[in-house]
Amino acid sequence: MAETTARRPGRGLSWRQFRAILRKDIVMELRTKEMITSMGIYALLTMVVYQIALSQAGTAFDPRTIAAGLLWLAFVFTSMLGLNRSLVHEKDQGCLEALLLSPVDRPVIFFAKAIGNMIFLLIVQVLTIPVFAFLFLQGSEYGGQLWMIPVALLGGAVGIAGVGTLLATMSVNTKGKDFVLAVLFIPLMYPLLLACVSATTAAVLGGDGHVQQFWSGMGLIAAYDAIMVLAAYALYEFVLGA
Amino acid sequence: MSEPTAPENALAVEVRGLTRTFGARKALDKVSFDLPQGAFLSIFGPNGAGKTTLVKVLTTLTAPSKGSARIFGLDVVEDAVELRERIGLISHNPLLYPDLSAEENLRFFAEMYGVDDAADRVRELLTAVELDHRRLDFVRTFSRGMLQRLSIARSLLHRPDVLFLDEPYSGLDPHAVEIFDSLMAQIRSEHTFVMISHDLAKGLELCTHALILARGKVVLSAPKAEIDEDEFTATYRATVGTGVS
Repeated sequence: MAETTARRPGRGLSWRQFRAILRKDIVMELRTKEMITSMGIYALLTMVVYQIALSQAGTAFDPRTIAAGLLWLAFVFTSMLGLNRSLVHEKDQGCLEALLLSPVDRPVIFFAKAIGNMIFLLIVQVLTIPVFAFLFLQGSEYGGQLWMIPVALLGGAVGIAGVGTLLATMSVNTKGKDFVLAVLFIPLMYPLLLACVSATTAAVLGGDGHVQQFWSGMGLIAAYDAIMVLAAYALYEFVLGA
Repeated sequence: MSEPTAPENALAVEVRGLTRTFGARKALDKVSFDLPQGAFLSIFGPNGAGKTTLVKVLTTLTAPSKGSARIFGLDVVEDAVELRERIGLISHNPLLYPDLSAEENLRFFAEMYGVDDAADRVRELLTAVELDHRRLDFVRTFSRGMLQRLSIARSLLHRPDVLFLDEPYSGLDPHAVEIFDSLMAQIRSEHTFVMISHDLAKGLELCTHALILARGKVVLSAPKAEIDEDEFTATYRATVGTGVS
């Protein structure tokens, strides 16, 4: 094993490391389908529960009024399942240690993990919405502009993935990590959920002032995403070292 | 942050008053020692003596509570990122992704270390650890011995100056030990080694320097040439009964 050609890794590795972590997570997920399958099935089961819950609502009830709330409820609980898996996967196999041994700035790990989580959440969202529309919104009129839905989903997914990745990293070393993640995650998600439900409801119902309500919600989502993702970025090194 | 270049016979590892506490418990208590470049340090001690904590601090995975540690002049806290480019770790845990192939694992870590000639380096190391024929197989299908060989390849990817070995023989069958020893012999002259071992005979056979830790404190630290093996063995056996720190 000739070591005479030794070359030190250069600086400016961050982009290469970011791509490597993200690619690795995606390749492993495509191979095992652990996160997507568990999140997808969970979302589907949630839809079934919703259908049972609304089965006695009667024909006068307009499910569009609560559609956004139901959807985001499903996304929040589904994302917790995925967030837990994304870090437990590293921890269980001791690979987090190997990752931390490499000359990588900790925020690079945060961004790669958060983007990976966001991609998986977006995939589940894209798969869930047609099922939800089929089960609950058949024959209902879509009131807003169609582009509003993906914009709201993306904004929500950024916040969920950013904050969730930080909290999943915090909880991964604790006993009862599922419980710890839920206890930390739901309260921190409160303002984001409120904004997401508001923007999505405006998109679904339409009507007077729906564009203003949508942008007002999106403004809150953008502010939440910016503040919380920056805070998570700043805290990530501390959390990993704790 | 400048990267100091070590002159001949320079110290590879300098540890001064290193203390690490977990709540009220002192896992390391004012540990101090030096290790010259190219040396092989074997660290002995009973379970809970602080050996793994010491290696975790030296590999930047845990920050010390007090004191300092420098490797080739790089501080384990201040210069952690630069230092990680110069150290490698072989643990009893292989630190590899089971759902990636051997080649994919090494390619991933090569990217993480910014190895420029990654494809060639990965192939060179897979050949060296005699796993080239299994390069496309998932790591989860590997035996313990094969995992340990691949772990050696992972730790050497970036051509580290100091290799940390945390009970590397743990769980290996005699044939795997033989292969591991042969690989270690090949790279022995190219690195400085710090090894945690419970196997006194093996640790003393490999080392140039030895250190006994008990309750987080250094009980004995000396070059092998200055060690009386019977006395050393007696000291080690006495520490084994001292319990955890």
